[in-house]
Amino acid sequence: MLTTLATLAALTLGAVRQDRDPGSRDTTVAVQPGARLDVNNFGGEIVVRVWNQNNVRVRATHSSRSRVEVSSTAAAVMVRTAGRRGPPSIVDLELTVPAAMAMTLRGHYTDISVEGAGGSVSAESTQGDITITGGTGSVVVKAVEGDVTLSRTRGRIQVTTVEGDVRVADAVGEVVVETVDGDIFLQRMDAPSVEVSTVDGDIVYDGTIKDGGSYRISTHDGDITVGIPPSASVRVMVASFDGEFDSSFPVDVQRSGKHRFSFTIGTGKARVELETFDGDIRLRRPGEVNVRDARNRNQNRNQNRNRDEDHDY
Amino acid sequence: MPRQVLEADVALAASGDADAFERLYRAHSARVHSLVRRMLDGDEADDVTQDVFIRAWQKLGTFRGESAFGTWLHRLTVNVVLARRKSVGVERGRFITDDQPLERATGRRETVELSMDFEEALARLPDGARQVFVLHDVEGYRHEEIARMLGVVPGTSKSQLHHARMALRRYLDR
Amino acid sequence: MNHQWTDRLSEYLDGELMSAERDALETHLAGCAHCRDTLAELRAVVARAQSLENRAPAADLWPEIHARLTVRRRFSLTVSQLLAASIALVVLSGGGVWLALRDGSGTSDPTMAAFPQLVAPAGTPVAWRARTDMAVAQLEETLAQNESRLDTATVRVVRQNLGIIDRAIEKAQRALQADPGSAYLNLHLAQTMRRKIELLRRANALAVAES
Repeated sequence: MLTTLATLAALTLGAVRQDRDPGSRDTTVAVQPGARLDVNNFGGEIVVRVWNQNNVRVRATHSSRSRVEVSSTAAAVMVRTAGRRGPPSIVDLELTVPAAMAMTLRGHYTDISVEGAGGSVSAESTQGDITITGGTGSVVVKAVEGDVTLSRTRGRIQVTTVEGDVRVADAVGEVVVETVDGDIFLQRMDAPSVEVSTVDGDIVYDGTIKDGGSYRISTHDGDITVGIPPSASVRVMVASFDGEFDSSFPVDVQRSGKHRFSFTIGTGKARVELETFDGDIRLRRPGEVNVRDARNRNQNRNQNRNRDEDHDY
Repeated sequence: MPRQVLEADVALAASGDADAFERLYRAHSARVHSLVRRMLDGDEADDVTQDVFIRAWQKLGTFRGESAFGTWLHRLTVNVVLARRKSVGVERGRFITDDQPLERATGRRETVELSMDFEEALARLPDGARQVFVLHDVEGYRHEEIARMLGVVPGTSKSQLHHARMALRRYLDR
Repeated sequence: MNHQWTDRLSEYLDGELMSAERDALETHLAGCAHCRDTLAELRAVVARAQSLENRAPAADLWPEIHARLTVRRRFSLTVSQLLAASIALVVLSGGGVWLALRDGSGTSDPTMAAFPQLVAPAGTPVAWRARTDMAVAQLEETLAQNESRLDTATVRVVRQNLGIIDRAIEKAQRALQADPGSAYLNLHLAQTMRRKIELLRRANALAVAES
């Protein structure tokens, strides 16, 4: 039916003035309740903030070689950037959106930053840092190279990256994080379930250990530090090929093979699995979790990484 | 997307890998959504497409790989659409009895513009005729299969197809 | 215009008329320009139907689909678990440890017993292992073909990280040679291999998206 071919209001921002100087564009579109924000910006920045209006405001800074299109249907407000000719160039987008709006943000060489989101957030960038504050329901991040920083999220977090550190703080909900070359720091967490792994990097978890919860932490080459509250009821399984185990409180270890052992605190209602092939495992009380140790190591690693790059390709 | 990448994704998704399933979604969503959109009212298409992928996720364990994943998913889509059609119950006049149903079918006063494109014209056909046309001419099902799916006799499927084609002749936009 | 014939044109077009009817209709067509025109139009409609292009949904439906998927995740096996199970099965079955695990008898590794997911798929470990190797080979080949579509910075990151994973796999394999019965080492190797598959797959997906 014709009515379902949603009325498409397309505003071509860059077409207003055909100037050759870098310009800035500013437009505002009304938002239907429940509509998503869908942004695709090849390179540059996507910055999203919230306000309590039912409008999306888009401010774009770019050269005359690019253009920015904003279109709106009942289901979504879409922002697309493109080059006038040839490949797209760099565009900085600054958006202000209704607080509860769900969003999908994508880019290639793009830094993404979201402040105060109240809906679900999905962010994807091949090269660039991604920083999200807020987010409810689900926060999904995909990156290849770049650091990911999340805070004050409520809902399921899923982060997949290749080279970069992942930091999550003050989050409530299930967490799944994977990186290959990078550290993972989870701090002040309230999580019923955690599944994090890296191949080359340290991992720190400092947060709740809930009855019935499951916490799986693994790295190939790196240290693991976990905070266990004195009140926790948890069964801890530890595996390490080449590394030391250190606990700041006494535990009654039951060895179950050359590289594995386990112990129970309280009645063992939660399950913690810690695994590193080549690295140390440290158990700490909350408040003793020392992120700095890991960070020093991280800096060394970054220096090595930079050195590698000098004579690579 | 290269075939082998998708095949590996099917196996991964079947074992519970949501990332692999997302790749399948990305590769197939346009086809599924387009089929759903043509079979049902456009405003239901997003919901039903979601249902199709949820169902696919749940049923992937039963996918044996005898048919290509795309074919399997396609068949699943048709089943979800038809189940929807039954459960919604209220249908616009299901079948056509003459060649000019578009104006009346929608109950609109305004004249149907000749500039209306083919897909819009298709969307205005009564549900039954539209589904027969989509299944036969767009998707390549045979009348016997369509009749079974829609619960009509093959003769009805044939005559509805003809009426739908006759009605759509005027909207050949290219 | 002869309705009797017009109504049969679609069936004629689809090759569904009996030969007697077909002959009669063809005789009619020879003398009826109107029916010939209609037939041409119907043919064009069919051609148009077959050329309809698929369009992706205007909004990305994945986030909502994904949100509805998570329930199953908890109750099903993850790939790492399946891979781990397969490899652990292959290696352990030689030493009889596997049977002990499955029976849950006193000699089993209590740590392994705490990983029920490792014990669950008693199916076809060999098939799974073969699939893993095949998936890696296929993905590597596909990536070799696709790599030129990626920008050099991404290629570099992917290669460096594949290198990191390969070194991890090597280390795990070496450790396993010294201690082939270790459930932990088998699990670790499987997990690391799974990471390689994931990274290869990711790189391929990116390359495809670039084209």
